[in-house]
Amino acid sequence: MWDTIVGELIQATRDTWHNVLHFLPRLMGMLVVVLLGWLLAYILKSILRSILRLARFDRLSEHWGATELLNKAALPSSSELLSRFVFWIAWLGFILVGVRALEIVGLQEPIAKFFGFLPRLFAALFVFFFGLLAASFFSRAALLAAVNADLPSPRLVSSVIRTLIIIFALSVGFEELGLGEHTVLVAFAIVFGALMLGLALAFGLGGRDLARQYLERRFVRGHKEEKEDELSPL
Amino acid sequence: MVLALPQDGLWYKDAVIYQVHVRAFHDSNGDGIGDFLGLAQKLDYVQDLGVTALWLMPFFPSPLRDDGYDISDYQSVHPHYGTLDEFKLFLNAAHERGIRVIIEMVLNHTSDQHPWFQESRSSPSNPRRGWYVWSDTDTRYRGARIIFIDTELSNWAWDPVSKAYYWHRFFSHQPDLNYDNPAVREEMWNMMKFWLDMGIDGFRLDAVPYLVERDGTNCENLPETHAVIKDYRARIDQQFPGRMLLAEANQWPADLRPYFGDGDEFQMAFHFPLMPRMFMGLKLEDRKPITEILQQTPAIPENCQWCLFLRNHDELTLEMVTDMERDYMYDEYAHDKSMRLNLGIRRRLAPLLDNDRRRIELMNGMLMSLPGTPIIYYGDEIGMGDNVKLGDRNGVRTPMQWNGGWNGGFSVADPESLYSPLLLNPVYGFQAVNVQSQKRFEHSLFSWTKHLINVRKSMPVFGRGSIEFLYPANHRVLAYVRQSGKDSILVVNNLSSSAQAVELDLRRYKGNILIEMFGRNIFPRVGDLPYLLTMGPYQFYWFRLRKI
Amino acid sequence: MAEESILTDDFLRELINVGEVDILIGVPTYNDAETVGQVLQALRAGLLQYFPRLRAVIINADGGSKDATQDLVRAASISDLQHGSDLRALRTLHCISTQYPGGASKGTALHTILAAADLLRATGCAIISADSANFQPEWVESLLRPVCHDNFDLVTPVYRRHKFDGLLVRNLLYPMTRAIYSRRIREPYPAEFAFSGRLAGYFLGQDIWSQDVGRAGAEFYLTISTIAGGFRLAQSFLGTRPHSERAAPDLVPAMRMTAGVLFWSMEQNFSAWSASMGSQPVPTIGPEHEISLEPLRVSRKRLHQMFVRGVAELAPVLKTILSAQTLSELEQAAAVPEEEFCYSNESWVRTVYEFAAAYHKTVISRDHIVQALVPLYRGRAHTFLVENRDASADEVESNIETLCLTFERMKPNLLGMWDGGK
Repeated sequence: MWDTIVGELIQATRDTWHNVLHFLPRLMGMLVVVLLGWLLAYILKSILRSILRLARFDRLSEHWGATELLNKAALPSSSELLSRFVFWIAWLGFILVGVRALEIVGLQEPIAKFFGFLPRLFAALFVFFFGLLAASFFSRAALLAAVNADLPSPRLVSSVIRTLIIIFALSVGFEELGLGEHTVLVAFAIVFGALMLGLALAFGLGGRDLARQYLERRFVRGHKEEKEDELSPL
Repeated sequence: MVLALPQDGLWYKDAVIYQVHVRAFHDSNGDGIGDFLGLAQKLDYVQDLGVTALWLMPFFPSPLRDDGYDISDYQSVHPHYGTLDEFKLFLNAAHERGIRVIIEMVLNHTSDQHPWFQESRSSPSNPRRGWYVWSDTDTRYRGARIIFIDTELSNWAWDPVSKAYYWHRFFSHQPDLNYDNPAVREEMWNMMKFWLDMGIDGFRLDAVPYLVERDGTNCENLPETHAVIKDYRARIDQQFPGRMLLAEANQWPADLRPYFGDGDEFQMAFHFPLMPRMFMGLKLEDRKPITEILQQTPAIPENCQWCLFLRNHDELTLEMVTDMERDYMYDEYAHDKSMRLNLGIRRRLAPLLDNDRRRIELMNGMLMSLPGTPIIYYGDEIGMGDNVKLGDRNGVRTPMQWNGGWNGGFSVADPESLYSPLLLNPVYGFQAVNVQSQKRFEHSLFSWTKHLINVRKSMPVFGRGSIEFLYPANHRVLAYVRQSGKDSILVVNNLSSSAQAVELDLRRYKGNILIEMFGRNIFPRVGDLPYLLTMGPYQFYWFRLRKI
Repeated sequence: MAEESILTDDFLRELINVGEVDILIGVPTYNDAETVGQVLQALRAGLLQYFPRLRAVIINADGGSKDATQDLVRAASISDLQHGSDLRALRTLHCISTQYPGGASKGTALHTILAAADLLRATGCAIISADSANFQPEWVESLLRPVCHDNFDLVTPVYRRHKFDGLLVRNLLYPMTRAIYSRRIREPYPAEFAFSGRLAGYFLGQDIWSQDVGRAGAEFYLTISTIAGGFRLAQSFLGTRPHSERAAPDLVPAMRMTAGVLFWSMEQNFSAWSASMGSQPVPTIGPEHEISLEPLRVSRKRLHQMFVRGVAELAPVLKTILSAQTLSELEQAAAVPEEEFCYSNESWVRTVYEFAAAYHKTVISRDHIVQALVPLYRGRAHTFLVENRDASADEVESNIETLCLTFERMKPNLLGMWDGGK
């Protein structure tokens, strides 16, 4: 009996050793891929960074207000951010390919799924980011327009627009990610619809006078309460 | 030290060259022969005309048996034309006016009066013996053709002094130098350097295809010849950057191409085959000869340029045409056999075109708008005539006609002591055709030519641009577009003696407004339909294409 | 495919028929049938009286009028085809009209007229506003003579204006243009002016026509380009400023066309304005300024209200643009009751310069920066109205001069802010 045990042990050790031997080259392969991947990703990032610099991407993003947003979040400049993002994605991709080379069954499917998920992740991130940009831009535009047109509660209008856009972006983003799509969408629809109904009621009933004044000022010129001479600023 | 002009590398691409005989231009000392001081006095006229470079015919000391192309001293000025100091004075004066100066350098041969030949022939053991091509027989190099067929029977001449044959591609009194001899090559470089140091802007190298000869070949355009030129060019680029080499090589375009090398031989070469075809196209009233030769013209390196001309000091050469074409040209342009010489026609521009002002304008317009640097032969800008009764090619080398007075203003000497008789007939004589009377009127040929040069100089695209031919169905109309960068110019020439209507396919230029360049008036914009133009006899248009 | 040209085929055909001219007068229009007839009469009379031997053409660039504007223009031609005119004229006078693409825009109209001037190689050109109801024939001479005879490249007008007219020009445009570009041009944004063919060709070649400034504010940029390009500038006194029957433009578009263009121009022409200090007078034909003093009722209260609201509501935006010190100054001013409210010269100049610097650095969207200036300007207008309520012409002029000198004096501050911090 002792012999059997020893024999089995030796056999088991040998088997394990064989497995390890079989595994080692794959491990080496994976390491090589990962290393290569790091190198390639780094080169890609440098190239992209140079291209973006040549194309004055930072100037462009300043124009859109993206830089402002990033500065607020204490993030580096747009071109730097984009290059780093590309670097990580590229390297991640190589790592996953490397892991695949390990041929560990059970990891293959999730890896494939992950790769399938990536484009949607990108899309969602884009939507969130641009949603934030748009929200900031349009809310400010509304604020300025309201103040200059002498409309009441400009701050309120501005916040409302910002909230709406953010919610809209979030819902589109979540739909893209496949998380609770319907719920968020329905919630958004309800909020939006309620708001619209509220505004309609307000204008129709409570804000009659206000609406009248506003419309008069907008469309009927020359009939002012106080008679004053029109002055041209130019 | 003479004032040198700034070396702007490609100045020759934008240049307008004026070819002039010192002897024929203006005499300052009353000996009946034009000289450098006289030429310097007339530089204001040259500047006024608008040309930017002068090409001087040979003026080195010479027995003058080939109008100066037989040189007996490479480092001096023929006493007829003045002294070396007077030349420097003239060179300085030209440069002050922004006019560059190109001189002749005859590499291939010297006069038999040159001290080198005198030494070479004196004895077979003379150190300069190997400077020329000697042979005991006249049977070598059989493949080489005879160039001056009207006067020479062989390329070998017997020298009684040294009792041997010597090689000469031209007149027998112009023995060929031996370019296989390194001493010859070095010495000729020294000759060139002498003038480059003085400040001249370029050389026209006469008769380059014939420098080296080899048995079993036609002794033209040999690789060894190209090697000699490449060497000279390299030295010039190193020591005198910006100076220009112009090749005189009467060859087919494909054979001319090697003379540009890879941009390391000649910067410029004459486009000989184009010139007779322009005259042919005019008589045939058909653009075919012109477009065909230009289609066959190979592309040349970026820093090289063709030289275009209508006439020059030689005969209108018909070497590079077929026999059928030559016969046609003789019949149309030189019915009188005395006008023919050496496979060519020895007439000036105006007489060739029957003194027809419209045809003269058209030919000049083509000269100034086809791709290349244009050369105006002295006197053609006022429409001078010729004298076929004078021998050889001297009929087109008569004195410049300045005014209607004594000797046409050329010289104060007695008319009998002029180097050549003046033209006296009522049509081309100096009283009818002269600078002074033409300068007074805006409609004169001189004023018109001046205006033409001005318009050409206003757009660098003429000198630097590409050419794309349009092929309208009406074959009497030659139309092409010159383009460089954002500039495009449409040139349309009516080669016919009667009014023509032509439709041009300008779809590539749709949306452009045509602006006629002489009056600067607007013509309709290019649309989808073919562009209709109506043209009077021999009329031409230059349109700038502009998009607003 | 080729881009749309602003010159339609029909218009180009008409230009070909007109040929080369000596004088070209451009009249941009949009539904101006009421006034354009009178303007054309005056133009014609002016041309016939003062430039009878010169070849002239009147070109109308129309934005798509639905009324009879274009027909009225064409009817003003003088030719052998149109009989019954009792005008004595040596030459044909073409009056042609074209509708440029893209909808009514002063910039596109100017672009079309410049292109025509360049193609017809006009020596002297002018732009005349179609709603100048009191345009006089003499004004044709006043504007064009300096160009045609004295080789000036741009001639801007000088008017007799009411002291409260053109507040934006008096408080911002004139003083700031004067300080930045060192020239004392009273009307940097002229409704009518004359220019040389040289300047026309130069301005036509500027790369602005596809941008915002090419659609609104181009006339102002023309003035700036003239200075930056080293061309010769003059002013010519015309008369009482033509009163427009139409409503005044909204302040926000007006601010875009003026302050927006000015800020933008400072980027483009940095080397032209950064080195100069002070200002030089511009050669002026006639009196340099005349101010009329008829009594006028203006609503100052509203201006003050909108200033106060603006400062309050726009605080988050203003925080990114102005320095802390300036913002707190404004907030203090807004807290004060209307009778004591004063937006001092120094404060106003500092505000404007900080806005210019913020625009240059694009701290937020540039258009938003320009819009944010509007309520602040209202405050300044209020102060101006109060200060000059009982002032004489000389006092008004002296107050404006003081403001100008403040702009000039504080220019180094602007340069400091331009590339450095706030």
